[in-house]
Amino acid sequence: MRTALLFVLLLILLPVSVAVQDLLPAIPPFQERVLLLPVVFCFGAMALPLLPALCFALLVGLVQGLAILQIESGQIELGLVGPVVFFLSWAILLQMASEATRGIRWEIHAMGSALVTLTLIGGEFLILCAKRGGFPADMTVLMRCLVPAGSALLIAPVVYFLLRSLVPLVPDAGLGLTRKSTLDA
Amino acid sequence: MKYVQIAALVLLAVAAIILCVIGAGPLAQLQSGFLGILSPLSQSGNAVKNSIGNLGKDLMTLDQLQAEYNRLLSENKQLRAENNGLRDLQADNDHLRSILGYRERSAFHLIPAAVLGHDAQAWWSTIKINRGTKDGIATDMPVITDRGLVGKTTAVSREMSEVILITDENCKVAAKVEGTKDQGICAGARAPEGELKLSFLNKLADLQPGQKVYTAGVSGGVFPSGIALGTVKNFHARELDGEAVLEPAADLGSLEEVFVVTGAK
Repeated sequence: MRTALLFVLLLILLPVSVAVQDLLPAIPPFQERVLLLPVVFCFGAMALPLLPALCFALLVGLVQGLAILQIESGQIELGLVGPVVFFLSWAILLQMASEATRGIRWEIHAMGSALVTLTLIGGEFLILCAKRGGFPADMTVLMRCLVPAGSALLIAPVVYFLLRSLVPLVPDAGLGLTRKSTLDA
Repeated sequence: MKYVQIAALVLLAVAAIILCVIGAGPLAQLQSGFLGILSPLSQSGNAVKNSIGNLGKDLMTLDQLQAEYNRLLSENKQLRAENNGLRDLQADNDHLRSILGYRERSAFHLIPAAVLGHDAQAWWSTIKINRGTKDGIATDMPVITDRGLVGKTTAVSREMSEVILITDENCKVAAKVEGTKDQGICAGARAPEGELKLSFLNKLADLQPGQKVYTAGVSGGVFPSGIALGTVKNFHARELDGEAVLEPAADLGSLEEVFVVTGAK
């Protein structure tokens, strides 16, 4: 029941985070954008038990896939395969990290958010290079990968403690407690 | 592991496989549905953002208010004086218009739309606007401002649409250079920095900074002819062709209001 409540809360946060990240202004001087979806994903992947975390990862992959979907003349440039596989893989890795630290911790969540953001943007760039050809790696591309990852590192603790303040509704959801109590819940 | 968990895992795997093999048509419908879910969130978020922005703009000190009042008072007097003079001109203007049968005309049917937000994704330049199928918007419709081309609609839901900007690498526009016969393909960069690249030009073309570039309007294409794209910043010859860097005509970094071209008049 408690896990279900947290799952529903995170489900609501999915479209909200996409809408909010689109409304946030670009960060000067590089005019890079902030991604909130990976930060919310990391929280869910670490706070939920394995099976709900995998379901959540599947939905995050679907949302991210639809957000970047471009259909030109009936041809899909990037389908849902990449985002779905990406988030499912990261969900398993984050579950293992959560097991190792016996529950979700804000430092691990922050580092996980930065890494997920960095690998997401970097992975998309590599796939686009493979699909469109060329490898225009320069300072702009580097900044486009690093600045959102750095932003995620800084924003993640805020999101973590904000969610923690909401999650007393579901006190045994693994927050600050051991994984065993999470699974028991 | 309990049977329920195994069954759930199998269901999860099946769902993942279905999502991975889904075709372009159902995916487009799924994306439209997703935009439909985002639409109320984006619209209300944008309204909150605007009201917060306006709150900041509206706050003034008493000194500023006094200065603003004095400025408006003097402007009011000036406008009254001008208005008196313009009455005669208005009468003349009306008379001339009726003689010439002049009608205010625009080449296109335009639907005004407000920009709800810029997409946060790193490698795609898209915006969301508050018009959708209920307003007659469909995919592949040009989007412009009074200054020039913005992009085209790519995904449309009932109340919201996604517009790919001309600074995106995927948005290619046939273009012609003012005062010359040079034509090329205009597109953005993979990591858009706000500039456009006009490629496949004649390598001997003599393009000068400041020359204007317009859409060429190829037959069967999305963009009609004659919409301003940008101005030439510099030109360099490559091995096989020439390439110019353009400054976009429309200010794509701070778009608030755009027009969707639904057809020619």
